[in-house]
Amino acid sequence: MISIKNLHAEVEGKPILRGVDLEIPDGEVHAIMGPNGSGKSTLASILAGREEYEVTQGSVTYKGQELLEMDAEERACEGVFLGFQYPVEIPGVSNLYLLRAALNARRKYRGEPEIDAVEFMQMAQEKIGHVGMSMEMAKRGVNEDFSGGEKKRNEIFQMLMLEPSLAVLDETDSGLDIDALKVVSDGINRLRSPERSVVLVTHYKRLLEHCVPDRIHVLYQGQIVRSGGPELADTLEAEGYANLETDEAAATS
Amino acid sequence: MSAAEQIDPSIDHYLAEFSRVERDLPGSDDSKRTRSTELKRFADAGFPTTRDEQWKYTSLQAVEKRRFEISDEPAAIDKSALDAFMPADFEAHRLVLVDGHFSQALSDLSGLPDGVTVRSFAAHLRENDGVDVRAREIDDEPGSIAAMNAAFFTDGAYVETASGAVLDKPLHVICVSSGAHDDRMTQVRHRYVFGDNSQATIVEHAIGLGDKAYFANVVTEALMGRNAQMTRVRLQQESERGYHVSAFFGQQRRDSRIYNHAFDLGGRLARIDTNSRLVDQNAEVHLNGVFVPTGRQHMDNHTTIDHDTEHSVSREHYKGVAAGHGRGVFNGRILIRKDAQKTDSDLSCDALLLSDKAEVDAKPELEIYADDVTAGHGSTVGQLDEDAVFYLKSRGVSEEGARAILTYSFANALVEQLGIASIERYVEAAMLKKLPGGEAFADLA
Repeated sequence: MISIKNLHAEVEGKPILRGVDLEIPDGEVHAIMGPNGSGKSTLASILAGREEYEVTQGSVTYKGQELLEMDAEERACEGVFLGFQYPVEIPGVSNLYLLRAALNARRKYRGEPEIDAVEFMQMAQEKIGHVGMSMEMAKRGVNEDFSGGEKKRNEIFQMLMLEPSLAVLDETDSGLDIDALKVVSDGINRLRSPERSVVLVTHYKRLLEHCVPDRIHVLYQGQIVRSGGPELADTLEAEGYANLETDEAAATS
Repeated sequence: MSAAEQIDPSIDHYLAEFSRVERDLPGSDDSKRTRSTELKRFADAGFPTTRDEQWKYTSLQAVEKRRFEISDEPAAIDKSALDAFMPADFEAHRLVLVDGHFSQALSDLSGLPDGVTVRSFAAHLRENDGVDVRAREIDDEPGSIAAMNAAFFTDGAYVETASGAVLDKPLHVICVSSGAHDDRMTQVRHRYVFGDNSQATIVEHAIGLGDKAYFANVVTEALMGRNAQMTRVRLQQESERGYHVSAFFGQQRRDSRIYNHAFDLGGRLARIDTNSRLVDQNAEVHLNGVFVPTGRQHMDNHTTIDHDTEHSVSREHYKGVAAGHGRGVFNGRILIRKDAQKTDSDLSCDALLLSDKAEVDAKPELEIYADDVTAGHGSTVGQLDEDAVFYLKSRGVSEEGARAILTYSFANALVEQLGIASIERYVEAAMLKKLPGGEAFADLA
């Protein structure tokens, strides 16, 4: 699905990613963990096409194409989805309107006609139930007056509607109570299929209990310093990130 | 020879133009004298210049150097061109003026409720000798352009509501400048006389057609009786060769309310003065405005709310959206006189700049002589939130589309305070169509 090679990136001259290598095969769920400031959100934003970050070296190949050469909207149309850590509010523009615009942008990109209104509403009815939201909420402005948990549910609702090939979820599980966490993890599990891949950026093992990843990677000071199976989450929880520096030293020596 | 003694060729033209048309202008001999006085006032002052503090940001040089003439009769206009400006599903009584003349054929004033008079102001003046061309209750209409209007205006809408009368549906006052001939001027004056406890909604819609330069000068006088309520919508869609100057003068008696919503979308240049004087207790005025200068448009809003006595309320919120080389100005003056204790007033202007070349100057101007008042004010000038732009792009919306959607979101909160859904949708769709990439999202409205 996606292949990241020796990715270096900086913001305002400050290096954040310092040679990230990551392969995510089709159908797999990979988690990226790591302490604050290790570059996790930067990596997620770069994959979605945020322009504030300057990629200085390396490449990202997505479905055989150079991802970094595409605009954010083009990536979205190609099936990349970013679940935001801090979803924005857009008062006066309904969630349903945005979703219809997003779906039609994809269809236009693929040379398909616009989505039928009835078909769209049926799809929305079905998927909104999966995230425990009401159509009433979907008709309100995008995230307008939503609580933190509702905003994250809404990200998952959008993801289910847009059916991405690659979903990158940036701390979608942060700040959620257990009910909302289950909604989020159920949503991710629902999306799992042999054609789709998911990147979970998270601080917490809790999400990974409900949504067991194929691989876990530890990002530290802009590099992947350790990778392993789901059991790595337990190790990290027991030991923390304290001895990563020695790992890194060991890896480079 | 000093500058003052020089004959200004522009003023000279208007003196001659007045002589040409004077005989045909509506009104009694008394009101003709008023017209002459106003003409002299205009001639003495001349066109305002940017040296005048009130006109610091807006130059009328382009207007001054042309020689505009009154249209002796309206041009034939293409009905379908006009239909394009009609908001869908807007149920209204309709009064149409073309090139400054009432059009019986295009108007529909059938079925007005009892106690409500709506007619051509020219006809009203012709049939009532006692009516002056200037409302005497409004002691001072400042500005030479309003004086020019008093001298020249050919027609307008005259609305009178009897005590307790309610206009059942809005009145759509359409003022079309045909743009069919070079350098014509549309000089129009509306007068609304509200009886006690009466209520009406009036939508003043300025429309420009054709491709010839013209000058539209519109004055509205509103006399609000006790506990009367007016919702007034000003919808300005002059053509790109239209110069639009509009002035509103409200005078509010006890417990009266004015809800004024101004939407400026068109014109090469627009200058809008909105003034209301709250002469009696518990009067209330709400001024909302959205102005959207794009391309090379220039839009200047000046407002004055004059709190004269105790316990009156004013709320004023403007939003400007400037794109391209668009230029916007907002100057909101709140005057709270010595006797206007317990005044409750709030004023804000928020502007959004969509390009490096766009500019908006926003200035609240509070003059407070009473000591027990609440008077809030604030203004902001900013750009779109780039996080929000990225959010929309990450969902597949184009860069331009994202900016259009967020601009809509910015203006929407104010537009929807209007409370007439058909006009809200119309305004928002028209705004989106002006923005780069916005046409595709006109269905947001």
